[in-house]
Amino acid sequence: MRKIKVLLIFIVVLVSGTSCVSVKEYNRVYLNDADMALKASLCERFETTYHIYREAAAGANGGKTGGGCGCN
Amino acid sequence: MEEKQVEVVVVIKKITLIFLMGFGFVSFAQKDTLKTYKKKVLEALEVDMLLGYYSQKGTHASVTGGIGNEDLQNIAPTVVVKIPLNEDDILTADFGFSAYTSASSSNGNPFNTGASTGDDREYSGGDGSGSGGQGPKGSPWVASSGASRKDVLTAVNLSYIHATDDRNRYWSSNIGSSFEYDYQSFGFGGGVTQLWNEKNTELSIKAQVYLDKWIPIIPTELDEYEQFGSDFLIDNQSYFSGVSVLNSNGASVAEYLPSKFTPIDNVNRNSYSLSLGFSQILTPRMQFSFVLDLVKQQGWLANPLQRVYFLDKSNYYIGNANSISNYKDSSNTDVFHLADDIERLPGTRLKYPLGMRLNYYINEYLVIRSYFRKYLDDWGINSNTFQLELPVKFNLNWKLTPSFRYYDQTAADYFAPYNQHLSSQNYYTSDYDLSAFSSYQVGGEFIFTDVLSKYNLWKLSLKRIGLRVQNYQRSDGLSAFSISTNFSFVLD
Repeated sequence: MRKIKVLLIFIVVLVSGTSCVSVKEYNRVYLNDADMALKASLCERFETTYHIYREAAAGANGGKTGGGCGCN
Repeated sequence: MEEKQVEVVVVIKKITLIFLMGFGFVSFAQKDTLKTYKKKVLEALEVDMLLGYYSQKGTHASVTGGIGNEDLQNIAPTVVVKIPLNEDDILTADFGFSAYTSASSSNGNPFNTGASTGDDREYSGGDGSGSGGQGPKGSPWVASSGASRKDVLTAVNLSYIHATDDRNRYWSSNIGSSFEYDYQSFGFGGGVTQLWNEKNTELSIKAQVYLDKWIPIIPTELDEYEQFGSDFLIDNQSYFSGVSVLNSNGASVAEYLPSKFTPIDNVNRNSYSLSLGFSQILTPRMQFSFVLDLVKQQGWLANPLQRVYFLDKSNYYIGNANSISNYKDSSNTDVFHLADDIERLPGTRLKYPLGMRLNYYINEYLVIRSYFRKYLDDWGINSNTFQLELPVKFNLNWKLTPSFRYYDQTAADYFAPYNQHLSSQNYYTSDYDLSAFSSYQVGGEFIFTDVLSKYNLWKLSLKRIGLRVQNYQRSDGLSAFSISTNFSFVLD
């Protein structure tokens, strides 16, 4: 529980510190690159699926969190 | 005087005409401006055709109590169609199949003689010698031809996204279902994403519910025990009627009784998750995100097909008595250890995964993509995941992305290896997916973009081809290989 509290405090500090950053739309040519997307590639979904089966951890990666299959 | 009046009228008419025309142009210009700035969320219909193949080898089959052949092959074709309904709305349909063959699952009935449900009893007695003559044989190291050796999962999902006019808020909802031979799932969810700070900052909240149901398939010997009670070894209708059961010394006995086994009383398995997401642009070249999922599962969280053996109970076998001494060795092909019970796990589980991504654009040739996840749950599992991808662009059309992934986890409180659990325990599993291990995965992905756009499928033009290959190694000896392809089309 202590670890979760530390993590939440870290997140709040992080959010507070970054919310004032502003990059204009016309200055986002690099950020708009397809590889800069903050998500897994479409092809990666199969790996995400077998990771859910072969590993106990799941979630926080765009994949399922345990429902919808007889996996962990 | 009259001429002057006429000139004034003409001037007024000209001014009026110019004003009206100007107003008209402004009006048109304003309409055009509105159209220009309300860009479609999705410009055209997109179709992604995916095909994945997965193969694994290992020696800790969970269906046979944490020991045995766990070779598995899986092939999964999927089609994802994104349809722009109007300027603000997108409907996504996702259809997929996942077909597998599994040595571990095949040993629900390891005796090579029909289905583990007992409805397909091809064996009708043997010589009872226990010497491997005419009687049934099985081994955790040999795949059986039972019905549970293969299965097909069919899945359908629909999702809907609505964007507000200023594109600062997105509403989403989804509904889906999947079916397997022994498992059914129905899920739905919804969420909202809010952008602000000139779209530099994004916050999202999503909720998801899965209402799942087991159609339990249990190991053959326990299924017969459930049907015929303590007489299951002698009842004429039983699969084991006339079959010799051996003790550890190879002597034929009539003592095997898996009395710890009780039928499954709750076939439901429900999952409820709440997902909080945050992303932030840090510089013109760097952005990050994190996702915190809070997950609660309840119901039958164990797999009914997976056997457990107790250290404090006598061992009983069917097959060749001479092979009992090397039961744990893969050279054993003809003797099988009868189960004491199926895997049992608590009826609830709370999961807390936190994932973070940080991407950095170095230059036009190279991007760094990183991912880290911390996972905790109330079954005692604590895990770390780290992934690094380095997309390298050779030119506008060709790209190679090498990737590396590291994972580790501690064991669940209820895990113990083959034949190490005690019958006094309430919960137990010998599934090595819940053991302590580390793993690494190395691979890469080729992307070909636009070069093939001249090739069309009906009115769809091929926009992108992806080919991803990965090799996975787990510290308990399990190894896996996967290859997946993605063909992306756009409606002309």
